[in-house]
Amino acid sequence: MKTMEEVLRDWEAVIGLEIHCELTELETKMFCGCKLEFGAEPNTHTCPVCLGLPGALPVPNKAAIESIVLAGLATNCDIEKHTMFYRKGYMYPDMAKNFQTTQGPKAFAMRGWLDLDVDGKGAEERLDVRDLEVGQQVEAATRTETGYTTHIGITRIHMEEDAGKMVHIGGGEGRIDGATHSLVDYNRAGTPLMELVTEPDLRTPEEARLFMQKLRQVYLSLGISDCSLEEGSMRADGNISLRRRGETEFGTRTEMKNINSFKALHDALAYEICRQAEVLEAGGTVVQETRHWDPGAKHTITMRVKETADDYRMFPDPDLAPYDLSDEFIEGVRAKLPELPDQKVARFQRVWGLSAYDARHVIEHRETASFFEVGMAEAGPDAEALAKPLANLIINDLAARRSADEAFDLASCPLTPARAVELVAIRASDAISSKQEKEVLEAVFAEDKDPAAIVEERGMKQVSDTGAIEAVVDAVLAANPDKVEEYRGGKTGLLGFFVGQCMKEMAGQGNPKLINQLLAEKLG
Amino acid sequence: MRSMAAFDYSALSVDAIRSGIAAKEFTAREVALAAIERIGAADAKVNAFLQTTPDMALAAADALDSAVSSGTFDEMGPLAGVPVAFKDNMNLLGTRTTCGSRMLENYDSAYTATCVQRIVDAGGLPMGKLNMDEFAFGSSTETSAFGTTKNPWDLERVPGGSSGGSAAAVASGMVHVTLGSDTGGSIRQPASFCGVIGIKPTYGLVSRYGVVAFGSSLDQVGPFARNVRDAALALNALVGHDPLDCTSQPCETDFTANLDEGVAGMRIGVVPEFMTAPGLEPEVGEAVLAAIQKLAAQGAEIVEVELPNAAAAMSAYYVIGPCEAFSNLSRFDSVRYGYRDPGHADLGSQYEASRAFGFGQEAQRRILLGSYLLSAGVYDTYYYPAQQVRTLITDDYRMAFGECDCILAPTSPRTAFKFGEITDPNTMHLSDIFTISINIAGNGGMSVPLGLSADSGLPASAQLICPWFKDENMLRVAAAIEREYGPAPIAPAFADGKVGA
Repeated sequence: MKTMEEVLRDWEAVIGLEIHCELTELETKMFCGCKLEFGAEPNTHTCPVCLGLPGALPVPNKAAIESIVLAGLATNCDIEKHTMFYRKGYMYPDMAKNFQTTQGPKAFAMRGWLDLDVDGKGAEERLDVRDLEVGQQVEAATRTETGYTTHIGITRIHMEEDAGKMVHIGGGEGRIDGATHSLVDYNRAGTPLMELVTEPDLRTPEEARLFMQKLRQVYLSLGISDCSLEEGSMRADGNISLRRRGETEFGTRTEMKNINSFKALHDALAYEICRQAEVLEAGGTVVQETRHWDPGAKHTITMRVKETADDYRMFPDPDLAPYDLSDEFIEGVRAKLPELPDQKVARFQRVWGLSAYDARHVIEHRETASFFEVGMAEAGPDAEALAKPLANLIINDLAARRSADEAFDLASCPLTPARAVELVAIRASDAISSKQEKEVLEAVFAEDKDPAAIVEERGMKQVSDTGAIEAVVDAVLAANPDKVEEYRGGKTGLLGFFVGQCMKEMAGQGNPKLINQLLAEKLG
Repeated sequence: MRSMAAFDYSALSVDAIRSGIAAKEFTAREVALAAIERIGAADAKVNAFLQTTPDMALAAADALDSAVSSGTFDEMGPLAGVPVAFKDNMNLLGTRTTCGSRMLENYDSAYTATCVQRIVDAGGLPMGKLNMDEFAFGSSTETSAFGTTKNPWDLERVPGGSSGGSAAAVASGMVHVTLGSDTGGSIRQPASFCGVIGIKPTYGLVSRYGVVAFGSSLDQVGPFARNVRDAALALNALVGHDPLDCTSQPCETDFTANLDEGVAGMRIGVVPEFMTAPGLEPEVGEAVLAAIQKLAAQGAEIVEVELPNAAAAMSAYYVIGPCEAFSNLSRFDSVRYGYRDPGHADLGSQYEASRAFGFGQEAQRRILLGSYLLSAGVYDTYYYPAQQVRTLITDDYRMAFGECDCILAPTSPRTAFKFGEITDPNTMHLSDIFTISINIAGNGGMSVPLGLSADSGLPASAQLICPWFKDENMLRVAAAIEREYGPAPIAPAFADGKVGA
């Protein structure tokens, strides 16, 4: 199989996402008063309504409507005032009524968009943008200093109810194939579920991953869902097709359902790009089907082939009156909009002078954004000078710690925002070296003490006394005449050796900038 | 103490039962015991009941008698001590809710419907559950999986349907108040066939929660009774917003308040197309005309009103009804409750076999029709135009009620027919030609007896139709009609304590 980069030289991937998000922050289900709670004993949060018992009727959850309007406003959607619920018929035991209450042609939120900033390695997936000049455009993408931005259309966000959870017993890995029986937990049945559908505007797996990540940031900022991919409260279906570069017709697509991690979304789409290209380049045709991503085996397998379009017999739900949302209601919801991720990035740039890149990565998680803000408040008059180093600490050190340890919790760890600011301030005053800064950071985590106390205890201080450093430099040069010769003969790479020797002499406390400067002068 | 056999509670009014218990002339338990005994004997002839609930009735009666002893009976509701019963599509904890179907033959209610609870809370003694056309699909109660119910006026004839058991139980004097549901005429037509009062309130007046749905946008629950005041007392108990039914509306009206006001000054609408409709039997048409004259004589202003699109109501109904029924009945799949055909290894064949056996012919016909009408490519041809017709008919009624306070029309084109007399489904559906447009438009309608037909000697009746949420208008006219014809009599074979010939 070719690599994705090889494939993308000849083919363009067209990707659309359907992202489901449960409104986990609500108290109750979409159409009944049952409590929303993940992980409760099976079938303990059920009633005649969510069990679809004869005679039961739905009563819509007003707070859910407010949540989806909030989500629509936050993603630049038009709010559809006149809309209604529909019944989507399908016979399967996970939906007790054998129809799902969802929305028809008009959803509460329509025609929105989100802009993505793609940078770093991920930007390289977009071959058609890579070689552009800054400011140049191709399709919706515009080249920037650090990568590119792209504009992703949102078709709609509609409100529906989640199904119950099926567990198949006796087959392999809980799958239905070979199962001897199936269990249904209706606790999840009727959970308010928003489904967002994008336009087919995404072109790379990285864009898809970033879109979902950004949407998650938006939803989290709204406080409408815990957006837990692990627990399935946020999950994506990815649709993907290939077409030859330059073509405008869409190819046949495949769909991957219920992808529950950012990495899986990226990797499943990347795999499909390569697989479909192989099929097409061998003269075959892509079969329209649902495929299952197996993260262990790192490939997709056929789950269900769609021979004919499903007929869901959709019609307006006669138990639920049409909606006629007032301007007052919509404006009332708009007034509740919190600061959104893009606004936060802009503010961090404006107030603290962060670069767009730094600001974006600092706000990537709610905890890091608030860590930064609390830190800046602690920093007092020096805040602006310390913003960049604090951002770096968050983007580099804390991100590394987070990716190394799943259980890492910034909120409860020994490194408080105040300690972080203290640390970067000590470093900024040149009192310790950057190497010592790392050491102190480790010590804060290990010993739960203030950075200043650690520096004091360990007698760490950076020597910036030119006289003292000069003495050491002279001694090192005198002790290594042969190396000095070689250096002067053109082997300038030896500078690092001399710096290292000086640092060693000074127990790592010498100011590396001064050492470098003096060495350069003396070796000159 | 009087002997039990001599205690004919059936002739008493609701008010008389309540005041009799309050005055300690008899106890609620005596009423309950007499009703149990009477139902045991009379229902052997009528077969209105699918289940009886003597223990529930006695428990409710004992609670009322305790209230008498402790001096708190005044706090009891207006139906205190009144024998009541419910169509078997209404959930009542402690009973099965079969909907007249093999599919739910052994289905135990998991909760109690709001309408049932409200009647029980008003003091009614729950005597049992009543026969009906399967899932309310029918106009004769012949589609019930559990046998036919007989018309107490002539045991050879149908009681009408789908709420045939509810009408027959009242007409035979077994109980005073029953509840039925009406999707296209299923309260009014059997009330007409059995010569009792049957009210289909304005859509939204009574909660549908706990009533097994047929056509959610058409279904409405209402009472049967033998006189207008009893019916109004039952309606008072039923109405009002229910947080469990978001289509139910608040209501503060006392439906007994204007029963004595008479119709002088009221404008009563007559629809010429209805009075000349093909299929309207002369004896029915004549009875309705006579009633119009009597109301005019009482001082009502009779005005002609047009319902130009009413003729399309039947077509719209046989699109909307089956579509909603198809969807509502899809939950009966044998998985969690209901009939399950044994021995199937895969879900699809279990679904098919269970539904093929569990549903009767008329139910299958409507499910298949709805399934077809909602399918891709067909939906736009039928469902959408049917909704447009619905809007037109709704506007017709709105216009008509600009000119009158109440419309008077036939309930059914004919009096009760004989078992097996109508086998063609299309002819059967014509039983509802005067009632269906009211469900389409959502207005209230009721059937009120006009004595006996000249030719057949069977009960004749008129239908009253009211503007949205003006149900008190039709009750006021019904009371005026009742002053002419008297309250609905118990069918002769069951009158004066008799339990059938």
